[in-house]
Amino acid sequence: MLLPIQMTRVLIVGSRGALKDTIELLYRLEAAHLIDFSAEEEGFSLGAPLPESSEASQRLLKLRSLEKDMGVDAAEVRGRMDVAQIEKDLAATIAELEVEITSVTESRNKLAGRINELEAERAVLKGFLGIPLDMEMYSGYESLRVLTGKVRGDPSVAVRAAAPQSEVFLSDSGDFVAVFVAKAQADEAQRALAQFGFTEVPAPAKSGSPQQLVARADEELTALRASLEEAVRKLEELRERHAAFVKAADEHLSIVVEKAETPLRVGTTEYAFAMDAWVPTSDVPKVEKAIAEGLGGKVHLEALATAPRKEAHASHEGEENPKSLAEEAPTKTENGRIVKQFEYMERMLSTPKYNEIDPTVTMMITIPIFFGLMVGDIGYGIPFMILGWLGLRNCRSDEWRTISTLLFYGGIWATIFGVFLFGEMYGIHFAEQPHDMSWSSLLGVQLPHEIAIGGFEIPLGIYSKLHNVKPILYMTIWIGLIHVFIGYVIGVYNKAIRFGLKHAILERFSWLLIVIGGALLLLIVVDAMILGKTVELTDLRILIAAPLIVVGILLAYKGEGAAAILDLPGLMGNVISYTRLAAIGMSKAGLALAFNTIAFEVLWGHDFLVPGSNSGDTIILIAVLAIFLVGHLTIFILAIISAGLHSLRLHYVEFFMKFYEGGGVDFKPLKVIRKYTIEKNGVSE
Amino acid sequence: MADAGLIALSAGIAVGITGMASAWAEKEIGSAAIGAMAENEKLFGKGLILTVIPETIVIFGMVVAILLWLNM
Repeated sequence: MLLPIQMTRVLIVGSRGALKDTIELLYRLEAAHLIDFSAEEEGFSLGAPLPESSEASQRLLKLRSLEKDMGVDAAEVRGRMDVAQIEKDLAATIAELEVEITSVTESRNKLAGRINELEAERAVLKGFLGIPLDMEMYSGYESLRVLTGKVRGDPSVAVRAAAPQSEVFLSDSGDFVAVFVAKAQADEAQRALAQFGFTEVPAPAKSGSPQQLVARADEELTALRASLEEAVRKLEELRERHAAFVKAADEHLSIVVEKAETPLRVGTTEYAFAMDAWVPTSDVPKVEKAIAEGLGGKVHLEALATAPRKEAHASHEGEENPKSLAEEAPTKTENGRIVKQFEYMERMLSTPKYNEIDPTVTMMITIPIFFGLMVGDIGYGIPFMILGWLGLRNCRSDEWRTISTLLFYGGIWATIFGVFLFGEMYGIHFAEQPHDMSWSSLLGVQLPHEIAIGGFEIPLGIYSKLHNVKPILYMTIWIGLIHVFIGYVIGVYNKAIRFGLKHAILERFSWLLIVIGGALLLLIVVDAMILGKTVELTDLRILIAAPLIVVGILLAYKGEGAAAILDLPGLMGNVISYTRLAAIGMSKAGLALAFNTIAFEVLWGHDFLVPGSNSGDTIILIAVLAIFLVGHLTIFILAIISAGLHSLRLHYVEFFMKFYEGGGVDFKPLKVIRKYTIEKNGVSE
Repeated sequence: MADAGLIALSAGIAVGITGMASAWAEKEIGSAAIGAMAENEKLFGKGLILTVIPETIVIFGMVVAILLWLNM
């Protein structure tokens, strides 16, 4: 079934004491999409979270901060833990971890702080190393000023000239200076120093020789670094030992909190509760039975109504009808494993409505075909297939899986088209060509134009992308017409189930007639413009096409008003838009031709009229292969972007516009997804 | 047959100007799409689709160029 699964709206009522068990049961059934309770209903108020919620939230908060301190990486965690085990160990482990981790992180931060301090001190002392004075000599004078700091060049002569009552010590390396100067002449000395780029480094208030001080600092630094390493190692050890538990406990607590907060979405009175939910119609008996059996008659399920597909048609004056059941029901699609891989491409645009066809199946068929047609080369098709296959095996995120899906299935079609329709690899045809080099001429072997399989002659390459533009262009226009036609057919169906046959005929069937008429006219246009025949007005095709188009336009005008006439050129644009299938293939073939010509004909001296001819130089051959590789890698990457995007776009814009509305609500039943935990016996104690 | 040089020139103009038109339109949409994405990353899909819509303009240009070329 292409339509989303049918939904029934149910009301579950019961005594308030049974609320917790009801929630547990619904989570286990995974079949109820809860509708948030709106506080408008009289006599009801929002439910309060279950009592375990606050404690669990607090623990979760603590756990998350511990996780951050430990730097737990989700990718490292393997295996699952039993929920019962977690429950048992939780309180003790959190308390223990908190103490250990707090002490370790605290000492780590303290150590790191002290190391920074010492390093700064050591950097200051380093300048004084080259001057043979003890540190206490730099301070404690009454009439002298001591200037110490970095300089560029030797300032002694200049300083002595400016301030005769001074003594200058220059370090051995010549970039640090200590000047002892009478206070009265300190300003002059400073001015003289300034010319040598003096930056002051005040002497630290220490005693002893700088050598001793530096050695002592080094000693302490070594010890501190060792303890820091120790602390880091301890933290790592803790992480290794507890990461799995912490991650599992995090998941478990999140689930507990989520379940405990479910009453916030439910209406309650003093003694009873009532929850509104959507359940797939086929699951209603199962849920009903489970509630009757599991909750001992304290809770009752009432199926209110099954959502119909039909809804009222909004009138053209822009009035909004009140939301009907059909518009509120959530969308649950049931697609097989392969189709599901394409679901994300559709969801990226929007979720289909409850009462319209889920177009994923049609996308699964045509997206890879379009991709393959645009690439159409076995040389790219096979790498695409391999890349896509690897991606599907190894990637987990939706985005990468979608890209891999596109590459894998698109690669299959690219290979098929590459072998049978275009007969080329890396933009070079297999069999001999009249105007171009081919693999036959390059390798000096005769590759066949066709192969015989079971008595049939299967051609290897019918068209060349660059030399047979006309037929390929013509073919793509037909692909466009057919694709748009299918779009309108689905549109007719959607409109019929949603608003009834009348609307379907006026708004979509009318366009079907126009498309058929347009297709007939296309044949005439080809006859007249390309084949150069004269076309009579009494041609049978015109006699059929004209009334089809006129009737179609009249119907569409009645259904949609003047906007329908404005849409006509748009329809033509949509169909012409499919010529991109040819255009992108051509542009890639053109790029490939350029690279191949540079590599083989210009550099390697290959003449396609002489099979196997080349310059025979090995060094040139290496350069040729390098150009070939880089060039085709470029085309390969461009192909992912252009062919992938354009085949998606043809669906989103040209195809979906004909029938798709989207904007549905995803079916999200109450359920838990466990990655790090398992629940034995279905009940956690 | 018409003058080959003039036809080639016309084909070039057809592709060139429509290419610039596409680029201009895509620039406006693309920057708006990135702005929207900064607010909500989920809009990437829609943004991408909206951004490539004006690409049709250059496809039309290319079709015209090909028709010209076929008549050469």
